[in-house]
Amino acid sequence: MTYSNPYTDQSFIGFFYTLLTRLWSLLTGNAVPDTLATDEIQLLVLAGVAISCAILGVFLVFRKMTMLANALSHTILLGIVAAFLWTQSHHLANAFEGVVNETALLVAALAMGLLTTFLTELLSKGFGLQEDASTGVVFTSLFALGVIAVTLLTRDAHIGLEAVMGNVDALQAHDMRLVYITVVINSISLILFYKEFAITTFDPALSRSFGIPNGFYNYLLMVLVSITAIAAFRAVGVLMVLAFFTGPPLTAKLLAKNLSQAICLAALFGIGSALLGVALARHVLTAYGVSLSTGGVCVCAIVLLYLGTLICTKWTMKTFMKSPLSS
Amino acid sequence: MIDGSLLQFFTDPILRAPTIGCILMCISSGLVGVVVFLKKQSLIGEALSHATYPGVILGAMIAGVFEIDSSNDVLITIFVMLGASFTALIGLWCIHFLQHKVKVPSDSALCFVLAAFFGIGLTLASQMQFAFSSLYRQAQIYLYGQAATMIDIHIWVYSILFVCVTIVISLFYKEIRTIAFDREYARSLGINTRTVDHIIYLLIVIALVIGIRSVGVVLMSAMLIAPAVAARQYTHKLYITFILAALFGGVSGFLGNYFSISIGNALAIHFPTHHFALATGPMIVIVASILCLLSLLFAPERGLVIRYLRIAHFRYHCLQENLLKACWRFPEGKTIPFDEISKYQSLSPTYLRFVLASLAWQGWLLKEPAGYRLSPEGRAWSTRIVRLHRLWEVYLVDYLGMGVERVHRSAEEMEHIITPELERELTLLLNDPKRDPHSQPIPKEFE
Repeated sequence: MTYSNPYTDQSFIGFFYTLLTRLWSLLTGNAVPDTLATDEIQLLVLAGVAISCAILGVFLVFRKMTMLANALSHTILLGIVAAFLWTQSHHLANAFEGVVNETALLVAALAMGLLTTFLTELLSKGFGLQEDASTGVVFTSLFALGVIAVTLLTRDAHIGLEAVMGNVDALQAHDMRLVYITVVINSISLILFYKEFAITTFDPALSRSFGIPNGFYNYLLMVLVSITAIAAFRAVGVLMVLAFFTGPPLTAKLLAKNLSQAICLAALFGIGSALLGVALARHVLTAYGVSLSTGGVCVCAIVLLYLGTLICTKWTMKTFMKSPLSS
Repeated sequence: MIDGSLLQFFTDPILRAPTIGCILMCISSGLVGVVVFLKKQSLIGEALSHATYPGVILGAMIAGVFEIDSSNDVLITIFVMLGASFTALIGLWCIHFLQHKVKVPSDSALCFVLAAFFGIGLTLASQMQFAFSSLYRQAQIYLYGQAATMIDIHIWVYSILFVCVTIVISLFYKEIRTIAFDREYARSLGINTRTVDHIIYLLIVIALVIGIRSVGVVLMSAMLIAPAVAARQYTHKLYITFILAALFGGVSGFLGNYFSISIGNALAIHFPTHHFALATGPMIVIVASILCLLSLLFAPERGLVIRYLRIAHFRYHCLQENLLKACWRFPEGKTIPFDEISKYQSLSPTYLRFVLASLAWQGWLLKEPAGYRLSPEGRAWSTRIVRLHRLWEVYLVDYLGMGVERVHRSAEEMEHIITPELERELTLLLNDPKRDPHSQPIPKEFE
């Protein structure tokens, strides 16, 4: 399949110019692009991942539960393997090449989310183990099982690497479906349960006195996190999705005055870093002929945005309010 | 190549380097893991192990820039280790900066540093893939660990680091112990807690840098946690915890390496066309996790199964005593039909028959055609229980001022617990009372 990618040989500025002109022609109906260019698919997938992660990430950060998200993002590897054993027992390699069965993946994510949360709680409450250690033991052992299962079933050690690191450059148009399904699921849950999530996050004691089941919302959040992580693994892998979970919400936290603002800002920062990442990767390819991992560049963009915001807020604090942000 | 002899893993010139390497690495991470576990910072290992990844790539890149041949293992290992410890230290600094200067919650700081460093590492790696592709393949080994390609010279490098870790831990044993259990107390003793903290972080970084060669960046944190958790199950003494953690670490290192080689060989026979090596890291982690799980379940005293068994045994003991007590209420020497006993018990008849049969087998009851009768020994035991029950009721009413109608429930529990010494004390304290608060006679002490 060879079609000309309009972004070939574009620099950083040129990327945005091409993107805008193509958007403009799409909106005015002058020229309907028959296919999405690879860069646009990457951009759309990464932006979808960023939105999902921003919605959940804000709550994770405020609930101090990001390490549980870290655990989940590791254990879903086992879920992915299970999903493909269940649907098509002999072609696990397909899972990593794009033949996706959304239902199986979503069920697997659901199961692994519940299993990981349950096992961690079992170890910390049933066995009286301290919480950090029980999280660590559970997710590393499940992840090790996942890695071994992937290696044994595909008989290829390389695929294990790809699951961890993701491969944005291999994305195809149908990968967008699962990502946007999770965006819809997350948005609906956010709208339906916004109040409950907010109150269980900031004042668990108050919510208990209202009769809101805190445990239920914990599990719901964990299930949503694992669904999001499983949708993102083809693009950014199970580890870098954590950067999307924590980076934009932390950036937003520096600026936002309330929760809804934080969620919006986090989503914006996420989309912004996806844009920056794809554009930078393209620029480097054009200018230096080096093909960088787009997912990695996106993470770098997240870090840069965070550092930039941090420096700006500190600077404005110092100049205008005459008081340092912290001791 | 392997004929099953385990000793061969230590003598064979190809096999001995991976084996000894894995054991050394896992022992040192087990030792450091105990310190981390006691400080409740198990997850810092997770963040820092990922933060070594960009360093691994950087080290390999610098090796590439200096045009070091990819077969020069020692220099590449050293470059990689220096790079890894460098970025791990930067990661540590970032975590501290985020936590203390920006007031980011500690878990978010860990998670952000983890993902950010890994992403940066990946970007560097994708650049390197084109620039130095042979070195890139060597650097990727560090992701999941690959012990099989180690040679003797690696062992020397890792042994030196391992000895360093052991010496530092034994030198600072007292300080680490005091700080881990009570920070304020340590400060009041004049221990410089900051310095010891820095030493501990340095130890973590060294353990990670040694470990990523065999266990891999992604799974290294497991080796800091699992052996320590397993060791903690067996003892309350710190130095034994250290020794056990080192032991569990060493065993999982050895077995993990063994399984990865033997399963890899078995697979190579079955699928000769697919040439692939099973990564060592996941195997070691699986073995360590299994050891940890077994310890959590079966360790004497603290193991969950043992705890449940002890509880079940106590319940059964109580049930036996209650049944004997029920029999005691009938006139002495009378045979009690089964229905009379089961009338007041909420047990299923089958289970009740089983318990009664076991009591009869142990000689407390005598089985007769019409039912059961207390043996003299059984009579003595049940009399003692009734006596304890009523003594305790007297004590509650006379000394604790509880209402007469409320004391029965507490006495139902205490009658199974009071030891002969306590009984003697109670008798003395209460002046050997003859009647309980419900005006029922208290049986005499049985000789």
